[in-house]
Amino acid sequence: MIELSALNKSFGFTAALSDITMTIEDDEYLTLLGPSGSGKSTLLRLIAGLEKPDTGSIFINGQNVVGLPPHQRGLGIVQQNYALFPHMTVQQNVEFGLRWREENPVTDEKELARRVGATLELVGLNGFENRGVGQISGGQMQRVSLARTLVTEPKVCLLDEPLGALDANLRERMTLELRRIRDTLGVSFLHVTGNENEALAMGDRMIVLDQGHVVMIAPPDVLYNLPNSMRVAQVLNAYNILGGQSRDNGFEHGGKLLPLPEGVKEAANYAIRYDAAKIVPQDDPSALLQVTFLTSEFTGGGVTYFMRGPDGVFEVERHLSRADPTVYTSGQALGVTWDAKDALVYDAQGVLIGDAQMRGAA
Amino acid sequence: MSAENIQSNPRFLIRNKHYWLLAPGIVWMTLFLVVPLGMMVYVSFWTQTTFAISNDLTLKSWQTFFASETYFGALIRTIRIWLTVLFLTILIGYPAALFIGQMVRNKTTQTVLLVACVIPFWTSFLIRVLAWRPMLGKEGAINILLQKLGLIDAPIEVLLFTELAVIIGMVQIYVVFMVGPIAFMLARIDQSLIEAARDLGASGWTIFRKIILPLSLPGVVVGAIFVSVMVLGEFATSSALSGRKVNLLGNIIVTQVGSLKWAFAAVIGVVLTAVMALVVTILLRIVDLRKEL
Repeated sequence: MIELSALNKSFGFTAALSDITMTIEDDEYLTLLGPSGSGKSTLLRLIAGLEKPDTGSIFINGQNVVGLPPHQRGLGIVQQNYALFPHMTVQQNVEFGLRWREENPVTDEKELARRVGATLELVGLNGFENRGVGQISGGQMQRVSLARTLVTEPKVCLLDEPLGALDANLRERMTLELRRIRDTLGVSFLHVTGNENEALAMGDRMIVLDQGHVVMIAPPDVLYNLPNSMRVAQVLNAYNILGGQSRDNGFEHGGKLLPLPEGVKEAANYAIRYDAAKIVPQDDPSALLQVTFLTSEFTGGGVTYFMRGPDGVFEVERHLSRADPTVYTSGQALGVTWDAKDALVYDAQGVLIGDAQMRGAA
Repeated sequence: MSAENIQSNPRFLIRNKHYWLLAPGIVWMTLFLVVPLGMMVYVSFWTQTTFAISNDLTLKSWQTFFASETYFGALIRTIRIWLTVLFLTILIGYPAALFIGQMVRNKTTQTVLLVACVIPFWTSFLIRVLAWRPMLGKEGAINILLQKLGLIDAPIEVLLFTELAVIIGMVQIYVVFMVGPIAFMLARIDQSLIEAARDLGASGWTIFRKIILPLSLPGVVVGAIFVSVMVLGEFATSSALSGRKVNLLGNIIVTQVGSLKWAFAAVIGVVLTAVMALVVTILLRIVDLRKEL
């Protein structure tokens, strides 16, 4: 178990991380989502010991490891660019940590071959032992990098945007692979990513980091359905966020009065999920907002419609299993509507209003 | 058949017209490198008499070279001094390059330090070599300093007009050609490799031995080629700092040409060229530069 307590780190005058307190449990898959520049790689490097925190402590199984070098922390880090040793074969790369570590290296060739073989088998690369790392594909390099870390049997494995450099097809396969590998070994994974879908799909729990602060830690479904702050909703890239103010038991936005969820009187921001909104004709009585159609994007399983609303782009997602895609022309005037109970509202500080527990259950 | 050739020839020229880009280079290199090299080999078999040279082919100059203690000794001496200078430039240059390429992480500082290494080249070769005389001489700076400090009673005479002086002078001039390429290769090593190795538990020494050294080896080879080619052809440093006592192959060529012994000078030229070609070939065998650069 890793506990981070009040971690701070700045570079020059810029605070990269402020007051990070969180726990990584044993045997869990934790994803860390944040936009670029949010400090997610810095946090990983602090935990790994590649950077020193300015203040705060990192406890691994109760022991404060601030000041300990990386290899004495019992962690493994898989770097974003794989960091494979270019002059070595796959075998030599994977066995590096066992053969050349300072403390209790493995010198028995049979033992080395057995452990490297078992790990390569786990990542699906048996038979590649004697290839040079320049002769394998990006996805295979990713696996070698993972194998090189896993062969040393770390308690926690830190992955820095492990799928970032892979193409979409490979990324999907590695997503499943990573989960399978983790389940087999029972080690904890801390997976840093800038991709919200990856974070949602892979994590048992998910952390959202923004401007050096932890803004939410929750299981992915809770986090997706009930982002506890506006920043989380923005990072998820799944919510239309509308500004305005509450008036007459409603929410005024762009000259229209939008319905507030039950039991809410005051709000400063209003969020509606892309897939909770629906496009209707302009003069439909249920239309809550008047919008102008801009363009649409076919995503395979669905269509995302982009419209110009009173204050910025309004997106609506429609799953094609429900209906055929409707074709609109650019500049066409339309209306959008949604169910008041699907709306989330936030106060002026960007904090979610309402009893989250109750609404989550409903 | 011939009609077909005439028809296809212009098309061949048009299709491969990018080869014309090579024409100026080929003409230049043929006129000023290939032809003179062939000429040198040819002249080395000419008959040399005291005042004249004729193009009757003979092996006499070659026999003189390998039979004479002076000339064959010069070949051995050249190789010995080359190996010593090469070893010393690596010994002195590698740590400096390691500092510039790995310890200094700021690109600007790296450049400043590398430029600082080149500053001695802003003075002329002659001045750089001759400046060693007042440094190394019997009443030179080093001897005076050591005597003032009471470390020695009598001046060290071996410092100037000896093989040692030649080696000191050459190492000083050529060490920068070792520092540059090595520092370049070292600076290209991705820091994440070193972080990964450290994370995997390797000690600093192991990281150097297993990661940094192998990855910088191409730099060492390029530096060694620079230094070797320059040292093997040297004559100015050795004549200026040894008082003409240390004769390298280059010095002998200068003397022979000076006394119009063209055939003999050509023999030494061929030998020198062969030695250089051999050295460069061996060095290139150590690493596959095409793969590494």
